Amino acid sequence: MPVLRLPKFGQPVKYAYITGRVRAMKTKLIPHEMYQRMLGMDIPEITRYLEETQYKEEIDLMAKDHSGAELVEYATFANLAKTYKKLLRVSIDEPEFLILEYLRRWDIWNIKTILRGKFYGASDEEIMKYLVPAGELDLEFLEGLAKKERIEEVVQAFDGTDYYEALTQYDGEMLSSVENALDKLYYFRMERAVGGTLSVGGGLLLKYVRKEIDVKNLVTLFRMNKAGIEAAVIQDNLLAGGKLHEEFSRMAGQSYNEFVRGLEGYPFWGAISDVVAEGGSVSRIEARLRAYLVRYAWALSNYHPLSILPVLGYIVSKETEVSNIRKIVRGKEAGLSAELIEEQVVA
Amino acid sequence: MVAEITDGGILYGLIAVGAGLATGLAGIGAGVGEQGIGAAVVGVVAEEPGFLGKGLFLMLLPETLIIFGLAVSLILMFAWTPFA
Repeated sequence: MPVLRLPKFGQPVKYAYITGRVRAMKTKLIPHEMYQRMLGMDIPEITRYLEETQYKEEIDLMAKDHSGAELVEYATFANLAKTYKKLLRVSIDEPEFLILEYLRRWDIWNIKTILRGKFYGASDEEIMKYLVPAGELDLEFLEGLAKKERIEEVVQAFDGTDYYEALTQYDGEMLSSVENALDKLYYFRMERAVGGTLSVGGGLLLKYVRKEIDVKNLVTLFRMNKAGIEAAVIQDNLLAGGKLHEEFSRMAGQSYNEFVRGLEGYPFWGAISDVVAEGGSVSRIEARLRAYLVRYAWALSNYHPLSILPVLGYIVSKETEVSNIRKIVRGKEAGLSAELIEEQVVA
Repeated sequence: MVAEITDGGILYGLIAVGAGLATGLAGIGAGVGEQGIGAAVVGVVAEEPGFLGKGLFLMLLPETLIIFGLAVSLILMFAWTPFA
């Protein structure tokens, strides 16, 4: 049953400080035209450029142990975690609660990274480099997990938490079922925790998150429909809670052309129509959809300037920035052409 | 000596209360308006110290409303009334 959410007097003021702050932080993000220029640079030049931006501290700190693409990767992740932690530190009350609820995705990311690392036998130092301790689980706890020998021990460490049930789905062979269960758990928990608050801010967060789920499901559909996977398997992989869940469930298993025709008329169609018409790759479509999501978050925050949405917009923009830098640097290292990297960059 | 209550006395009293309310309510209104602006300005200045000048200017905008209230008070007290 839909719940009527009435604005409370004085409520938006709680958000004034944090939204003012993130809007100032937004101006320090790397401008889009810079990605174009980065494509023409080599890795040391990119590192030097990043040293002039907010990544300076991390790059200076890590430069003695790492170099090249590795240095940029670790520095950007460390900066991402620092930035998200800072958002939590400078907010109180409802904003803090909602930001933490959203940032739990990094807990999921960290658990997945550790599981994957253990699965492929990576060393604990190697795993630690890819962790982003931006959520509730702190670095110490994660370090303890990374040091454990076997996946079963990692799963045991979560006994008594919400994650345990999802993690016990691990059958010793495939990680994808656990990863899928963790994703579902994240959105289920958010719906339960945030939906229960009945606050305006929580409603806005859920509105954005529903859109995010839709976009994720859409990417899954593009991938799986293109590969011609049967409907039941695809439906199992779709995340619940999106606004278009029913429509997407129906589209699962359709032939690629039929599926694409069915997408016309949806709000995201304008963002991907030209790529789809050219028969572009799924990763290009994914980059376009990601850009659409970032635009959506900021556009929505114009309607609710004193709410959680500008903060969300910043969180999403920052994540996109880090992934763009990593894509460019990794692409350069692998010797990919500038055009190929450009297609993957979200702008 | 017994103080005498006259119609004029009540009128003056009410005018004085009105003058007080004009400035007082304007001040409360400006305060409510400023709380959000002040918080937002502090947030921005924490990131960009150079914004302090502009921020202070924005913060003082609702303050102009108090001047209207004060002007009404002064008119009531000294220009329009027998107090003058």
